[in-house]
Amino acid sequence: MAAVLQWAGDDEEPVPSSFPSSQHRTRGRRLPARPGELPPEVEAAIWRGNELGSPVTHVLSSGFHDLDAELPGAGWPCHSLTEILQPQPTVAEWRLLAPVMRQVVAAGGNVVVVGPPKTPHLPGLRFAGLDERHLVWVQAEAPAERLWVTEQLIKANASGLLLSWLPQARQEQLRRLQVCAQACDGPVFLCRPAAAEHEPSAAPLRIQLRFGVDWQLQVHLLKRKGPTHEGSILLPSVPGGLESIITPRLRRPSELIAARERREAREATHAVGSTAPERHLKRRVTAH
Amino acid sequence: MLWAALLPSDISSDASRRTEATSGLATWCLQFTPRVAVIEPLSESPAVVMELASSTRLFGGKRRLAARVREESADLGVRQLSWAPTSLAAVALARAGRSNGFSKPLDQCLDGLPLETLVAVAAHQATLVRLGCQTLGQVRALPRGGLSRRFDAQLLAALDQAYGLRPEAHEWVQLPDSFAARLELMSRVELAPALLFGARRLLLQMSGWLAARHAGVTAFTLRWCHDSMRSKSAGDGGEMTVRTAQATRDIEHLTRLLAEHLAKVELLAPVGDLELIALDVHALDEKSLSLIPEPQQAGESLTLVLERIAARLGPQCVLRPVVMEDHRVEWMQHWQPAPLARPRKLNRSVDIPQPTFVLPEPLRLATRNERPVYQGVLQLLAGPHRVEGGWWDRVTEDGKTTTRNVARDYWVALSEHAGVLWVFQTRLADTETAWFLHGIFA
Repeated sequence: MAAVLQWAGDDEEPVPSSFPSSQHRTRGRRLPARPGELPPEVEAAIWRGNELGSPVTHVLSSGFHDLDAELPGAGWPCHSLTEILQPQPTVAEWRLLAPVMRQVVAAGGNVVVVGPPKTPHLPGLRFAGLDERHLVWVQAEAPAERLWVTEQLIKANASGLLLSWLPQARQEQLRRLQVCAQACDGPVFLCRPAAAEHEPSAAPLRIQLRFGVDWQLQVHLLKRKGPTHEGSILLPSVPGGLESIITPRLRRPSELIAARERREAREATHAVGSTAPERHLKRRVTAH
Repeated sequence: MLWAALLPSDISSDASRRTEATSGLATWCLQFTPRVAVIEPLSESPAVVMELASSTRLFGGKRRLAARVREESADLGVRQLSWAPTSLAAVALARAGRSNGFSKPLDQCLDGLPLETLVAVAAHQATLVRLGCQTLGQVRALPRGGLSRRFDAQLLAALDQAYGLRPEAHEWVQLPDSFAARLELMSRVELAPALLFGARRLLLQMSGWLAARHAGVTAFTLRWCHDSMRSKSAGDGGEMTVRTAQATRDIEHLTRLLAEHLAKVELLAPVGDLELIALDVHALDEKSLSLIPEPQQAGESLTLVLERIAARLGPQCVLRPVVMEDHRVEWMQHWQPAPLARPRKLNRSVDIPQPTFVLPEPLRLATRNERPVYQGVLQLLAGPHRVEGGWWDRVTEDGKTTTRNVARDYWVALSEHAGVLWVFQTRLADTETAWFLHGIFA
């Protein structure tokens, strides 16, 4: 069967380089001679403890190559919760989720946000692929309301992507959501404070998201199916729409900040001796 | 044809009780087939018959269906379960204590049965015995002409129907619209957990009723009546309502739930009767057994769930955006309740960079060395972007007319902790200027 497929695929090649089935047979004969090595078909079926678990559920690519390499199943899992822990809310959520939102919207799914601390701004979200037909904002303030709305939306299994801010969820409440989410086809993201890192949670995937000054996102996988994750992944990310206005000088804002701090330190020492307000002013303007 | 006959075990002398027992059993039977009938409900031994030939495939084959009926009917207090090609034959075999009418040809099975097994024959038992007939086979061997002349028409009709020579007509049992079943306990029960044995029988009936209606229950009430020998202070009885989060008819789950609740109940007097009422019944979607998986449409549509959320939180809490053709950030978009109609044509939006979150009100920032401060001194990256105008946009609030005129210089600013921000500098009433935080590029 494999040979037939190979022939059919290589139409433009008159003679295939090798006959696949015979090659496979020789390999199969050779391998058992070497102890400690398994035939390839057995090898493929074995899961080893140091590998990433490959979930049976569906995943959606995160859009970042480096992140996909570390996520089990190479993408954001559907049928389960994903926790995003941040020191401050509304700093980098859309930047991390923009690629997956673009996929969801392209497939006709809706993006539902529950209880964001600030007003989502659609003209900016357009750069993340959202339009006004695919965004629903549920304003829920009380923690119980947020949980109830999230649970209803998960159970209804009607939203393509659910993004919910649950700053005060307890672990038994999350476990309940996770049980519901197993029947939900879309990915479910819960935004929680970084302090929740020390609480146990039923979410199979928990990531710590930090904002990097040089147009980066720092992601650390706190919990995943598979080995523990060391260090952090740096994802290049420019907020939608800002690519067009970033000049080469602005590529590394950390250098600008460092230069400004050096200058301020120098000016502080100058200021002890002489005051020169005009020069201060001129320098500030050039820094812009 | 595959007929099953079920004989309830404890038949009370009271006619209404007897009808209750058979109708409860018939309700349970309706989950397997709509062809369920009660045979001779007022006779000494009433029976419930059901025709299962067309249901076998649905329940995984004849053998598995028979095993399931046998197991569950034993819990329901069925004395005898018999199978035969005709309903009267099944009843006759059941009354004779035999279960299988398919082991031999039907007439050989029936010929040896005593006369009492068919009610129409038993009515003439005295005469027939004097004629020397002890079994159905002997009655059948008598000349048909004489038999029809000397005895009534029912005798010959019942015999023919039992042997499958004449079609049978039944009055099918209709499924009741609501479920309430009573059970008289065999002995007085003094401990609440011991009620479970009787309650399980009622739960089985309820689960059969739910299966026939393709529904599940989210709340049911178990009522118990104290027997007549109670003390006056104990009252008539008590009741308990059990609620489940999801509609179900899983008998094991319901039994376990009921056991948990019964463990907390203390009975004031011995209990003689139980009653079970299904309160909230919801349609239950069943998994299809087809080979090819269907496109999944589990759950409800987004509109429905948003409607439900809006009903609880208020319509102003479930919002969809509408882009307005405006260059001022506050009025660039408008959030309206989700069910409202949106303009057919999508409005054009500005093509300059825009933040993804905005603050409801611009936040005034402190300054240090004339630089805006928000969680540290901000590094201004790009700008200024001048947004000006709005003198045409007059609003009247509290009798005071103001124009929403703005004159702002927007900057993209960077904070090491708070991310990429959208701040603006504007002129205040006098000559001083102020910095405001308006949005975040999150």
